[in-house]
Amino acid sequence: MTEELDFLGQDSDGGSEEVVLTPAELIERLEQAWMNEKFAPELLESKPEIVECVMEQLEHMEENLRRAKREDLKVSIHQMEMERIRYVLSSYLRCRLMKIEKFFPHVLEKEKTRPEGEPSSLSPEELAFAREFMVNTETYLKNVALKHMPPNLQKVDLFRAVPKPDLDSYVFLRVRERQENILVEPDTDEQR
Amino acid sequence: MDAAEVEFLAEKEQVTIIPNFSLDKIYLIGGDLGPFNPGLPVEVPLWLAVNLKQRQKCRLLPPEWMDVKKLEKMRDHERKEETFTPMPSPYYMELTKLLLNHASDNIPKADEIRTLVKDMWDTRIAKLRVSADSFVRQQEARQRGEHHTPGLCHCTPALSQKQTNKRKTKTSNQ
Repeated sequence: MTEELDFLGQDSDGGSEEVVLTPAELIERLEQAWMNEKFAPELLESKPEIVECVMEQLEHMEENLRRAKREDLKVSIHQMEMERIRYVLSSYLRCRLMKIEKFFPHVLEKEKTRPEGEPSSLSPEELAFAREFMVNTETYLKNVALKHMPPNLQKVDLFRAVPKPDLDSYVFLRVRERQENILVEPDTDEQR
Repeated sequence: MDAAEVEFLAEKEQVTIIPNFSLDKIYLIGGDLGPFNPGLPVEVPLWLAVNLKQRQKCRLLPPEWMDVKKLEKMRDHERKEETFTPMPSPYYMELTKLLLNHASDNIPKADEIRTLVKDMWDTRIAKLRVSADSFVRQQEARQRGEHHTPGLCHCTPALSQKQTNKRKTKTSNQ
C-alpha cells in the first residue's frame, strides 16, 4: 500500500514537470532539503511543494489514526513517526526563518531583483514575514534611536548596515553519486 | 549540525529485533514494517527498536559488525593507517551508544565493545585534529575527507569558523 504522490518538480530546463514520488521518497527529499539548509550559509531556494506535500501526508495520517480503532501499539508507532517528521519539517522552517531574520534586507532585495522564471528563495508566507520584519525593524529603530538623532543622521540604510551571508564560508559537501569531469579550480588569491 | 541531530539521523538505520508480540504489517509514511510475530526476527529502524525495547516488547540483535574480534581488527587497522579507514557503518558511534545504553543485556561483551568503539573514535578524532590543523595553517580552500562519518562533522563547526575568521583577517589586513 504505497500511494504515489503527484509532485510538481522542476526538470533541468527549469520547466515544471509532474514528478511522481512515493511518500518515503518525499520524506527523503524533506530530509535532504533540511540538511542542505542547515549547512548552507545563505537562504536556499524555497521548496513549497515538499512542505505542502509533507503537511498533507501528516494530516492524512492524523485523520486515519483518528478513525482507526484503538490499537495502542500501532497508533503509538504511527505517532512516533509523525513526531519525527514534524520535527524535521519544523527544524527546516525554523532554520529558514532564522536566515530570513538575519539577512532580511538582502533576502528582500534578491526577491525584488529576481528574474522572471527563476524560482524564489521565499514562500509567499516567508515573503510577507520578511517584509513585516523589515517594516518593524525600521519603525523600532526610528522610535528608539533615530528620531532622537540630529536631523541629518536620521536615516539608516539597512541594506548596508546588515551583513550579507558569507558565501565564502566553509561548508561540508558529500558526493552522492560518482561524477566525472568536475573541475575544482585551484585556489588563487584573486578568488577572495 | 549538533550531536543530537546526528543521532536523529542515526536512528533511521535498520536493526534486527525479535518481538514478543504480534502485529500486522504497518504502513508508515516512510515505508512498510513488519508483520511482527513472536520469536521471528524483523528489521525496523533504530528509533522504533529502542522504543520497543524500552517497553519490553522485544530483544535487540547486535549488528553483524558489533563483535569483539571484528572490532579489534578494525581498531588496529585504524590506528595503523594515517588516513581514515572505512567504518562498519556511517553511524557506528551513535549505534553503539544507543544499543549499549538501551540493550546491553542483548549484546555479548558489551563493555569490551564500548571500549573498542571508543578507541576507534578517539583515534579518528586525533586524525581529524591533525588534518584540520594543517588545513587551517596552510589556508587551504578545500579538503577531501574519505571515509569520514557524519558524526565527525559536528566536531568541526569551530574549524569552519576558524578558517573563515583567518581569511577575513587576512583580507582586511591587505
